[in-house]
Amino acid sequence: MGITLLYVEDDREIGSAVSADLRERKYAVRWQQSGEGAVEAAAGCQLAILDVMLPGLDGFTVGQRLKRAYPEMPVLMLSARTSIDDKLQGLEFADDYLTKPFHPDELAARIEVLLRRTGAAEPAPLVLKHLVVYEGNNVIQEAATGREILLTGKQFQIFTYMLRHLGQILTKEQIYEAVWGEAYIEGDKTLMVHIRYLREKLELDPAAPEIIETVRGIGYRVRA
Amino acid sequence: MSGRRSLGGRQQSLLSRYLLIIVAALLFIPVGIPLTFAGYNLFNLQTAEKPPEEYKLYSNITALEEQWHQEALSLSGQTPDAIDRRLEELSGSYPLAAMFWVDGGGQTRQIHTPEDPQLQGQLGMDRIPAQWSAPEAIAFMKDAARQEPLAIVAFIGDRADAGEGFLVMQIPEKITEAYRFQSLSSWYILVLLIFFALFVAVSWLFFTGIRRRLLRLQTAMSFTGGAGIPEPIAPGKADEIGRLEEAFNHMVAELTVSRRREAEEEGLRKRLVADLSHDLRTPLTVIRSHLHVLGKEGLSRRGQESILLMDERIESLSGLIDNLLSYNLLSSGRVTLNPERKDVLRILRESAAAWYPLWEKDGFEVDISLEGEPLYWIIDESWFRRILDNLFQNIVRHARSGKYVGVRTVTREAGRAVVISDRGQGMDSTPEAAGAGLGLSIVDLLLNRMELARKTVSSQQGTSIEITQPQANNLNKI
Repeated sequence: MGITLLYVEDDREIGSAVSADLRERKYAVRWQQSGEGAVEAAAGCQLAILDVMLPGLDGFTVGQRLKRAYPEMPVLMLSARTSIDDKLQGLEFADDYLTKPFHPDELAARIEVLLRRTGAAEPAPLVLKHLVVYEGNNVIQEAATGREILLTGKQFQIFTYMLRHLGQILTKEQIYEAVWGEAYIEGDKTLMVHIRYLREKLELDPAAPEIIETVRGIGYRVRA
Repeated sequence: MSGRRSLGGRQQSLLSRYLLIIVAALLFIPVGIPLTFAGYNLFNLQTAEKPPEEYKLYSNITALEEQWHQEALSLSGQTPDAIDRRLEELSGSYPLAAMFWVDGGGQTRQIHTPEDPQLQGQLGMDRIPAQWSAPEAIAFMKDAARQEPLAIVAFIGDRADAGEGFLVMQIPEKITEAYRFQSLSSWYILVLLIFFALFVAVSWLFFTGIRRRLLRLQTAMSFTGGAGIPEPIAPGKADEIGRLEEAFNHMVAELTVSRRREAEEEGLRKRLVADLSHDLRTPLTVIRSHLHVLGKEGLSRRGQESILLMDERIESLSGLIDNLLSYNLLSSGRVTLNPERKDVLRILRESAAAWYPLWEKDGFEVDISLEGEPLYWIIDESWFRRILDNLFQNIVRHARSGKYVGVRTVTREAGRAVVISDRGQGMDSTPEAAGAGLGLSIVDLLLNRMELARKTVSSQQGTSIEITQPQANNLNKI
């Protein structure tokens, strides 16, 4: 698949185990044991996995340098720390965050989400029930007939935002604020109306939606 | 240094300055008034016209009177001609005064008047009768008493009953006037008024000066800088207010130092906790990745099950480490909370959204009912999420049997409350609830720091935890 990951981890045991696991998952892994030279090693990589506690340069510093050098490259932080302010500090620039001891499957899942979000993954079409979504070309088709489904600007924005957070439950506030860029006011029906029209276009039976699922009391979810 | 300061302070004390003003004002009455009075007269003497030299003879009226009585005594028993002669001699000595005498029969004899017509006019010699009657004598004496003009009258023989008549010397007003004490002019009153105004002005300036400096101090005290500590102020005079300013600056400095020390301690403890967390989690990560590798080998069903169990235990051990270290930080008070006005329902929805997949996987019935107006509380968002995480985690771990999570709001007397409930076997039932204590301790510490209250109802049918903000009533009306 040709996806190269930069992995910075000082602990040899964790480093070799995680590298081996990721290689098994068909990623090329560049494992570095310290933050020195990480920026140089990141050339040609599609994603960086950084441990927070590194000897010498710590993970936050390395991450910030990487972000400056490659703003498009997603950075996933691994930490053995607990305190909440560390999480915030790390997430200011990092795209995701995972606390040790993590399960190798979870790491792999997070990597996949990040690669999909930035489009670094292969432009394989996303199959959602009866739909096929070509994310790179912004095209949505009915799998059976090949008929293209056309969405209005706001409908498209809502749908892409949900696709970017595939499998995640999103609250009304989160969707509204991401799409409209302003604070959600309780009682506003705009989003609900848009979702109703979106379902009329996307769903086979808008009364029993399968693509955009309603999670009662919380929000909406698009499941892979 | 303190000795020198107290000495200098006394000189510059507000009290002494105010006393100086008061003493100056008080001294002005007994000392200032006579002094200025004298000064004024001295000034007048210097500048005003001096009486002419020939008036000097008449300047001492008392001496003249004495001399006149002496003269009258010596003329006792003399013939009228002798008296005439003597009077003529005297008139030669005192040319500016008028003189006459009246004999025993009441007849006016020998009138001598000054040559100057102006002086003559002032004496009114024409009013002197040639023959004196009793009313005329009385009228004359009344005029003399009023000094219009001044008349010195002496009976010849210096006795009224001698019956030899009397001698009169009249001194014109112009001469007596020249020696009369000068009355206070309007200038002097003006000077007094200026002094009074000056006192008022000095007092006023003194108090406005104090007031201005106190206001400045008040402003400095109530205005806090970025760190929530007032800025020190520029020191002024070394009086009482100056010392107050100095004490204020000292206090600000101490406060800054103690804040810094606190921050340092907080940082140190956080470092320690972070290191501890790292040291505990690193081996767990290694174990977990090796378990994963092991799981991929061809193991029996029992082997796979026990790997799954170990993996779950590692996950819960990780949660325990997290809680333990958080508890350490929180209970030492070394955690800074940033309380803000936040919509609690929104945070509840977001937190539930994060937990939903896990509940779904375990087959929980999820009952979330958070409709309606936003519910604003003053909370630290990330720590409030931590409270919810701990409560949800407890449900997943310890109330699994109920297969139910309920999140809703209820209306209570103090306002709306948040209720998180499950249908587990309750907190008191031993096997399931073991280990929930630490998570709840953290919840309580955090609730306490955010001035929130927890009310828990637990039975065999389930547990419901109600969180309220007792003082939140007015927040939602804004």
